Amino acid sequence: MKPLNQKAERVQLAAAEGQMEEVRAMQTVTAGCATTFDPGWEVDPFGGLAALCQPMEADLYGCSDPCWWPAQVPDIMVNHQSWDEGAPNAAKDWRALGATYPTDAET
Amino acid sequence: MQLRPRGLTAALLISAAGAMPAMASEELLQNICSACHMAEENGLSRISGQRKSPEGWMMTIVRMQQAHGLEISAEDRRAIVQHLADTQGLAPAEAAPFRYALEKDPNAQESFDEPFASMCARCHTGARGLLQNRTAEEWELHMDFHVGHFPTIEYQALGRDREWYKIARTEIASFLAEQNPLETAAWTDWKAAQKQPVAGDWVVMTDLPGIGEAYGKLTVTGDASPYQVSGEFVATDGTAHPASGQMNLYTGYEWRANLDIGGTAYRQVLALSEDGNSLQGRQFDRSNDALGAPLSGVRDGAGSVILGTVPSAVPAGEAQVQVVGTGLDGLDSSSGETAANTYGAALALASEGNGVVTFSTGGAEGQIAHYTSVDSLKVEPEFTIARVGGGSEEGPAAVPAYFNAVGMWNGPDGKAGTEDDVRIGRVEAQWTVANAHEHAAHMKDTEFAGKMQANGIFAPAVAGPNPDRPFSANNAGELTVQAEAMGQQAEAMLIVTVQRFIDPPIR
Repeated sequence: MKPLNQKAERVQLAAAEGQMEEVRAMQTVTAGCATTFDPGWEVDPFGGLAALCQPMEADLYGCSDPCWWPAQVPDIMVNHQSWDEGAPNAAKDWRALGATYPTDAET
Repeated sequence: MQLRPRGLTAALLISAAGAMPAMASEELLQNICSACHMAEENGLSRISGQRKSPEGWMMTIVRMQQAHGLEISAEDRRAIVQHLADTQGLAPAEAAPFRYALEKDPNAQESFDEPFASMCARCHTGARGLLQNRTAEEWELHMDFHVGHFPTIEYQALGRDREWYKIARTEIASFLAEQNPLETAAWTDWKAAQKQPVAGDWVVMTDLPGIGEAYGKLTVTGDASPYQVSGEFVATDGTAHPASGQMNLYTGYEWRANLDIGGTAYRQVLALSEDGNSLQGRQFDRSNDALGAPLSGVRDGAGSVILGTVPSAVPAGEAQVQVVGTGLDGLDSSSGETAANTYGAALALASEGNGVVTFSTGGAEGQIAHYTSVDSLKVEPEFTIARVGGGSEEGPAAVPAYFNAVGMWNGPDGKAGTEDDVRIGRVEAQWTVANAHEHAAHMKDTEFAGKMQANGIFAPAVAGPNPDRPFSANNAGELTVQAEAMGQQAEAMLIVTVQRFIDPPIR
């Protein structure tokens, strides 16, 4: 059997290396913020973590850019346009992502 | 494009001069805000149609900085917040149901009716909306503001499956206009009420996470914000922790203090009672607001008042207890010896077995349990979240979780978990964590998500993808927190989740 696309090729590779445990269909794990799942930021719709993106950095911008969690994660579309400056790849550059509320703005 | 408000230069010059008196608050508001907000019959456009908590006004000004290019010094910003909270704030009764949000209580859970729950409280606390009062027009504009700033709101789940904008403009705006109108009797009365002075001596009781239950005395001096606060806290073991700092009082009752207590920076979000004789709220680690506890206080000399005891319960035998309060001369106790002191009264106990000692004087009553056994344990909170963090200079710090074990007796019915159970008080416990379910066990959450410390504080692991986990998952986890004491066990649920990158004073 010959893989037709890259994903199938990676599945074949995983099977050869005995790593099928890590291969999940999108229907069972939310590997991206598919609109069919709509994970929250802290917890999934079932009150746990199993259906959240893991690691969240892998697909962070895909959701945060268009403001998916407007009260938790800065969006760069409207409100915090320079939040991801210096961090083009969240999975690698996550250390550059800071909190946006100013620390001196205390009552 | 950066908007440069008219009059900004003058405001900055005055702030920079330092020694010069601050500009009168209304003038400052006009100078800073009128570049964008038009003068109308009742004041500046948009601003005059709203009332908010001090935190609410602060968040609004920060948004003007971040979204509209407002440039303002920290001093002027606080002065405007003071002015707006004093003149367009919330009455004590209006803020009362939602103080948990101002206090940043990590364990508060909200429950709202539809459609408010899914229209508003799906992104932020419902309190964030309900700690505001607006005109009907302002509430409608508030809906439009959401669509403009957060356009995804209409195609997220619970947005796209309904006519979000129509519901927002009709049902939600009218609900809020009726529920939280600009003009209320509570606010009219509060504006007219004689505000009580806050200066003086306060006897306080709280818990310093990592140190334990504590009592103390704080002296407030000054006649306007910022007031000076000094005093000390005393822990159960008798160690003293000096306290000093500053406090701002907003709207005549909203106490916001930053204090150094024994070398740690703490913040207090308290409410002064309408009669000016008591304080209630929460004190927390300023750099880590999850580490905190309720704080209550009474004005020294305000009659006979008992706030509670430190410790809250004692093992049977000889024990020194501080009954915390004021006016406790001649405290009459069912057991032991009492002696009035600066924090209330000391109570020397020599007790046997399980029992309750009661005490009273001048109409004030209190009690403390002594124990050799407990029938059951409770972990408080029963459910909470912690967050991974740190690992970088920029990112949010980890957010820990703070647990306490409370001993219980079964009460007259002899059954645990029923309404007649008797709460003994806090007891020393051994702490462990376990994987909450099969998936957590598979992901080895207990190994990765963090460590439970002996003092009941869970310290989450570092942020970022972890290559040692399947999918390089974050160090998130679902854990069961287990306490064991005197042969009894109890559990709580802990979700260790990802960082919060937007963390304003009202979440």
